[in-house]
Amino acid sequence: MKKTVFIALIGCFFIQTGFSQKYFTKEGKVEFHSHASMEKIEAVTNTATCVLDASTGKVEFAVLIKSFQFEKALMQEHFNENYMESSKYPKAIFKGQIVEWSNIDLSKDGNYDLKAKGALTIHGATKEISAPVKIMVKNGKPTASTNFNVALADYNIEIPAVVADNIAKEVDIVVNIELQELKR
Amino acid sequence: MKKILIIIAVLAIGGGFFAYQMYNKPHKDMTSAESDLAISSTDLLAAFESDETSANDLYNDKVVAVTGNVLSVSNEEGITKVTLDAGNPLGGVICQLDELSDHERTSFEEGESVTFKGLCTGYLMDVVLVRCVEVK
Repeated sequence: MKKTVFIALIGCFFIQTGFSQKYFTKEGKVEFHSHASMEKIEAVTNTATCVLDASTGKVEFAVLIKSFQFEKALMQEHFNENYMESSKYPKAIFKGQIVEWSNIDLSKDGNYDLKAKGALTIHGATKEISAPVKIMVKNGKPTASTNFNVALADYNIEIPAVVADNIAKEVDIVVNIELQELKR
Repeated sequence: MKKILIIIAVLAIGGGFFAYQMYNKPHKDMTSAESDLAISSTDLLAAFESDETSANDLYNDKVVAVTGNVLSVSNEEGITKVTLDAGNPLGGVICQLDELSDHERTSFEEGESVTFKGLCTGYLMDVVLVRCVEVK
């Protein structure tokens, strides 16, 4: 009897791991654009991580604030020290879910327009967000891209009045990730 | 009176020039930058895994010279990233080569021992260094 239970448990375990296939990347690209009347500010990083659970569509995404590279060194300094306080808040994190993930068939090539919903944490503040996500499946691998706006005020990022014309109130964020199967 | 005007003009031009210089301040030259500290990839990852907050304070924004064996190399959109083995199956140390510096080489053999100096930016699954330059 004991043995049967044990085997059943082992069986469950294998089924479980068999279904909870994960996809990940450590090379996610995140860029942001701020278009204000006085100045255009852009920065990019290529070291964002993302883990996607293929059975549920759950996503975790993280990026290091200090890894953003700007064209101008001074902007990068101000971004880190004055606005994002990246020594205190080194990461931005998204934890959420691809809505209607079950529509996706990873076994064949295809394109999907879906939505991601979840909690975005920037600068120590967390907000619920929802953003459109384009998912492209090619050779069993999903590639995802999204584009959404973030209002600086939502994340308690204060812009002094002197530079208010140089920095947009809403920043445009573009994410592109190519996911690989996580092998254990 | 005229003298005062000239002095003001000179100050304004000087100030303007200084502000312009500040605005266009170049990024740190990584090729000539002295490393603030040297560490092995294994010790660096271990430091972040055991106490991330204090490791952030200790290493972030510093020019860190990190030595380890090459685990993998990726090159996408002209950006080369070398992952150094840190004795941990889950994470390593990712060194992204500096786009503003000239590199003697951008291809590395798996398993070879290599040292990069770069700016430490923190820890996700791996410790991430950006603007890296190989140290010989």
